[in-house]
Amino acid sequence: MKIALDVMGGDYAPVELLAGAIKWLQESEGQIILVGDQEIINEELRQYSYDPTRLEIIHASQVIGMNESPAVALRKKKDASIVVASRLVKDGMADAIVSCGSTGAQMAAAIFILGRMQGVERPPIVAPIPGRGGKPTLLIDVGANVDCRPVQLLQFALLGQAYARGVLNLDNPRIGLLNNGEEEGKGNNLSIQAYELLRQQSGLNFVGNIEGRDLFNSRCDVLVCDGFTGNILLKALEGMAFFLATGIKEELGTIPAAFMQLDYTQIGGAPLLGVNGISVVCHGSSRRETVCNGLKIAADSINNKIIDKQLQELSRLKIEN
Amino acid sequence: MQEFFEQARRILAEQMEIELELITMDTEFEEIDADSIDIVEMIMALEDIYEVEFPEEDIEDYPTMGSLVTALYEYLQKVKND
Repeated sequence: MKIALDVMGGDYAPVELLAGAIKWLQESEGQIILVGDQEIINEELRQYSYDPTRLEIIHASQVIGMNESPAVALRKKKDASIVVASRLVKDGMADAIVSCGSTGAQMAAAIFILGRMQGVERPPIVAPIPGRGGKPTLLIDVGANVDCRPVQLLQFALLGQAYARGVLNLDNPRIGLLNNGEEEGKGNNLSIQAYELLRQQSGLNFVGNIEGRDLFNSRCDVLVCDGFTGNILLKALEGMAFFLATGIKEELGTIPAAFMQLDYTQIGGAPLLGVNGISVVCHGSSRRETVCNGLKIAADSINNKIIDKQLQELSRLKIEN
Repeated sequence: MQEFFEQARRILAEQMEIELELITMDTEFEEIDADSIDIVEMIMALEDIYEVEFPEEDIEDYPTMGSLVTALYEYLQKVKND
């Protein structure tokens, strides 16, 4: 197993990313390819001891910034770390890519370099939200696509269904649409139109609208929304978990384990779905622990064969564009 | 130029799943919700058809279909004449 880590993207790049990579090497099996400025990487690595047969460095002279237009930057900066790392996956030199850099650039690299699965317009990011009885709900999309069309929400649902079947081993996952009310006809234009498409799609176990407060109640297995809404929801949950955990710790001296499940510094990252390669998106603010966990998610995704399983499931369904 | 524009708008209309007639030379990308990925996809499709690699310019400088297609077409003519 080889994972390509874009060490130039993120608020604490490359120092914390390299520390996270070393931590992963100590805790896991497999090899890592560090992609970024070779000189900086070599200098920073001097402080660590590691097995050199498990670590490789591939030079990339450019970085795509958070404020750059992703698709344009991808064309302009052919030697950007995210581009070089994505090409490694495309060319079969690595099994997955992990990045804490621009999500837009990572998504554009996934689209233009890894390529999309048939019938998928935009790859979404899937994140498991812990629920009662240990049953997670897959929230999809948590930030790759801020503006979505109704048909794209349908595609997210089908990808979520494929992921839930293939990875969570659910036979007939329940699909919900995140909305501001349960009744049919609720929501903005996007929700109303997406509801109709989801309802009409054959082979999809659509259970209707789900309100935000029911996210933890296992009302569905896959909860679909646009990336703008999903990202705000996810970060609000993370912030609330931190706020409550801090308050409880002050009073009781300990943090209940349930809160740790929403600690974004522990979660690490989430894979992009619908593309022909594993691409794990991490928080821009990731430090070593989070980076290490992001690498573990990539390793799990490789072991779970998430690409094959999505393709298998999608081949059963025809995604209508 | 007309044929080039027709190719470009056919590609974009298919991508965006909108009526061909909604895309004219005056159409602003923003008004049809075409983002940078949609525009780059269209450019890449044109590159495949015309077997050319367009320069990596800032697409923000071309807010309308007409301005972008004209710039791409002029580059195509320049390459053909060189």
